Amino acid sequence: MTDGLKLGDRVFSSRLLLGTGKFSSTDAMIRAVRASGAELVTVALRRFHPGRPVDDVLAPLAAIEGLTLVPNTSGARDAGEAFRAAQLGRELCGSPFVKLEIHPNPHHLLPDPIETYEAARILVGEGFLVLPYMPADPVLARRLEDLGCAAVMPLGAAIGSGQGLTTMSMLKLIIRDASVPVIVDAGLRSPSEAALTMEIGGDAVLVNSAIAAAENPELMASAFAAAVRAGRDAWKAGLMPQSDLAVATSPLTGFLAGGEAG
Amino acid sequence: MDLVVNGEAYRHNGEATIAGLLRECRAEAGRTAVMVNGDVVRKDSFDSVSLSDGDHVELIVIAAGG
Repeated sequence: MTDGLKLGDRVFSSRLLLGTGKFSSTDAMIRAVRASGAELVTVALRRFHPGRPVDDVLAPLAAIEGLTLVPNTSGARDAGEAFRAAQLGRELCGSPFVKLEIHPNPHHLLPDPIETYEAARILVGEGFLVLPYMPADPVLARRLEDLGCAAVMPLGAAIGSGQGLTTMSMLKLIIRDASVPVIVDAGLRSPSEAALTMEIGGDAVLVNSAIAAAENPELMASAFAAAVRAGRDAWKAGLMPQSDLAVATSPLTGFLAGGEAG
Repeated sequence: MDLVVNGEAYRHNGEATIAGLLRECRAEAGRTAVMVNGDVVRKDSFDSVSLSDGDHVELIVIAAGG
């Protein structure tokens, strides 16, 4: 694989990660996962209630070849709870990955940087491949990288808000300095935002609501996959320099009387 | 034995192990993670870890999520 996404000792060909929440049905989610080509999908944990039916997402996801599950720690309010959630997720998924998310305020769901840092320290020490959801803060990104996180996952905007890349200037700083993959997570609404993330050098995007809440999630998953590939190719190709003035694309040597080509 | 399972009082009449509780609750052992009094129990210990009166047990499964 010549252009793989390297996370820890694992390499993935897809640079689109998918969240599995908020779909209208498990079937719609599975169709979107297949259409996205994602190899990493996030899942959550919840309590099992005796006597109540379980909406089994594990079996249909396990049936998709090449898929790696990334359990998240959503619901954790501090580092201790995140650690326990990560252990439970590892027991259930058998995956070394954990999407570390600690967002105690339900109104904005912004990540708690202090608890996230502390949890990352513990989880890295326990051998997890930690993917921390974090504020778009270049200083924190560096600190999480120094701890040994497998990637950093700064937010574009609040989870599920669809506000897009509101943190663009900070994302550029994070991407500029990071030596682990930068996965932009949360807030994206349109495939063009995913393409733009890749064009500025982002390594991957994680998308959930933009696909799950689309009128046609399967088609939107396909659109995001194409956008991520296009953006990645554009970044590799190198964007042309910008200029304040026009730069002619045709010869300006006059060959008609007094005329100049544009 | 009286347990607290997922935050609610639960009278357990079966074998006093995690495996016994899972059977009684009809929870699939392969798809359920278990925490007893705040400690995560490894799957390979479900048969051997005993439960005691008053234990707080969490039964956790995978769900869709972002």
